[in-house]
Amino acid sequence: MKQFDNIHELISVRLLTPTAYVLRMTRRGLPFKAGQHLLLGKAGSIHNREYSVYSGEQDDFFEVLIKEVDEGLVSKQLKKLKPGEKVQIEGPLGFFTIDPEIVNTGKFLFVATGSGIAPFHCFSRSYSQLNYTLLHGVRYAEEAYERNDYPKKRHILCTSSGDGGDFSGRVTDYLRANPVSPDTHCYLCGNFNMIHEVFEILELQGVPAEQVHAEVYF
Amino acid sequence: MKKIAFKTLGCRLNQYETDALASRFHSGSYEIVDFSQPADIYVVNTCTVTNQSDQKSRQTINQARRQNQQAVVVVTGCMANNYKESLLESKAINFVVDNERKTSIFGLVEKHFRGEVADPEGFDHDVFSYEAAYKTFHTRSMIKIQDGCDNFCTFCIIPKVRGRAASRPAAEIYRNIAEVVEHGFKEVVLTGVNIGRYDDNGTNFEQLIEGILNLPGDFRLRISSIEPDGFTERFFELFSHPKLTPHLHLCLQSGAESILLRMRRMYTARQFRQMALKLRELYPDFNLTTDIIVGFPGETEAEFEATTNLAKELNFSHIHTFKYSVRSGTRAERMPDQLSEKVKNHRSEVIRKISEANKAAYYSAMIGKTQRLLIERIGNDGVARGYGESYIPIRIKAKNLKRNQFAEVILTGLHQGKELEMTAELVITDRSGGSNN
Repeated sequence: MKQFDNIHELISVRLLTPTAYVLRMTRRGLPFKAGQHLLLGKAGSIHNREYSVYSGEQDDFFEVLIKEVDEGLVSKQLKKLKPGEKVQIEGPLGFFTIDPEIVNTGKFLFVATGSGIAPFHCFSRSYSQLNYTLLHGVRYAEEAYERNDYPKKRHILCTSSGDGGDFSGRVTDYLRANPVSPDTHCYLCGNFNMIHEVFEILELQGVPAEQVHAEVYF
Repeated sequence: MKKIAFKTLGCRLNQYETDALASRFHSGSYEIVDFSQPADIYVVNTCTVTNQSDQKSRQTINQARRQNQQAVVVVTGCMANNYKESLLESKAINFVVDNERKTSIFGLVEKHFRGEVADPEGFDHDVFSYEAAYKTFHTRSMIKIQDGCDNFCTFCIIPKVRGRAASRPAAEIYRNIAEVVEHGFKEVVLTGVNIGRYDDNGTNFEQLIEGILNLPGDFRLRISSIEPDGFTERFFELFSHPKLTPHLHLCLQSGAESILLRMRRMYTARQFRQMALKLRELYPDFNLTTDIIVGFPGETEAEFEATTNLAKELNFSHIHTFKYSVRSGTRAERMPDQLSEKVKNHRSEVIRKISEANKAAYYSAMIGKTQRLLIERIGNDGVARGYGESYIPIRIKAKNLKRNQFAEVILTGLHQGKELEMTAELVITDRSGGSNN
């Protein structure tokens, strides 16, 4: 019985770039908190990976944003799936969530690199009143995944190569040039080096460690 | 009467579960014998947290079979979850019971001896329905409050073998503690995989602790091993309660921010340091012990040095050192720059020496201070041994001491035997409690 409980059906695969895509799956009524992640794999496979939920709490489906990894196994397997095929999900899991007591009153900074934007997409869809600024660091502007989903004033695209962004440079460069006020609740998601560096910057800018939350992507 | 022997490997949670199983078999008219003795049933409660744990678990299973070729050998615990298929193929083993069905072992063995078909898979999942562990192999009574973990640290296999986090209902915990206190236990130790994340329909960890401290009876409560995340101010205040022992095994794992991030721990080294300093500021004699993993993939000399520096600064009186070992299916398995055994051995030795120096320093600083010793055993030489509330091992020679009795003592010095202990002089013993057995 249990082995069928976590089986979900693929609804669609939406290509954002040649190597990044959004997988939409049935949710089957599973409760989750914005910011949590799923352990996702092809049904019947022993291999799975962690992906932050991209869709919102109110959506009746799950979406995850996946960046295909050159040497990857699961990201390639999932990309080949067709609508109607099955995936297995464990979770949702994790504590990269916003305290309900401050959702409507807090000031938030979200810092993402690459597909690390996924939980922030989820936050913005789930909480319509959220007072946030989103820094998204990518190499090229083409990697600004579905940027129109965010109010323009809240979304700052930092491009480390090429034009087309709101800021030329890394998110860390932006943060050094635009200090954060210490009452900001900061959420960081993406690669290890960015998170490690942003931790240091925020500490220097006086943001208490309790207000900094991180989700590392490897 | 059938004879049954138990062997536990690994964590306190396993120890608790073995104690509870032993209690069930004892009340079911089985004779419990030492694992080295001939028995009709051997239960091996395994661990799989490192390669070494796997090896020890396999050795113990083989030992059981060697001792009695006709015995029923039951293998349970985390290794049973992690290597179920290969264990099922072993001729040394009769039954492989996963963690979720560990509570069913009594029923399984009974069925087997009645000549019925006994299949562990036929029992329901239930991680909490253990009896009060009165037939314990320890003076302290462990109480399971939680199981599983959702943190998914990159090095850790536990979420895969213990499953998702689940909390035991608070009312059951209070009832269980009342029972063991009624049985005469004077110290209760909370166990679980990630007890700080306890949540029973809105009752969080701090509230649970308050509830336990408000239970009647002359007992003390030890939180023991806990992950340093999610503490509120209330957590620190709780230690002012006389029943709550001033000791935590607060798992650091690494003192380098970069390693903690790669381990995907839920705290930074700075936060850990602040928590430790705050405990010591509020309670100057507070005893902190910890776990450290050495040789995590890519750990540089500088990162290791950050760990040694923090270990020295925070003066952990004991450091349980683990050499990182690859666990199949974890994220760290796929990380580059796996370190050699030689490097891990060297770093392990460095930490061990720091631990020894810290211990001697902490114990020396406690000379002249009072502890409430719970006597665990009295040797033939008349030396009584046990632990004070600060989790300091104490030896004392005095008249009329009894096992499982509280005694107020003054710490007088250090004694280096097999382990470092503190010597003490008796101030007064409690009149209640105690047993000579």
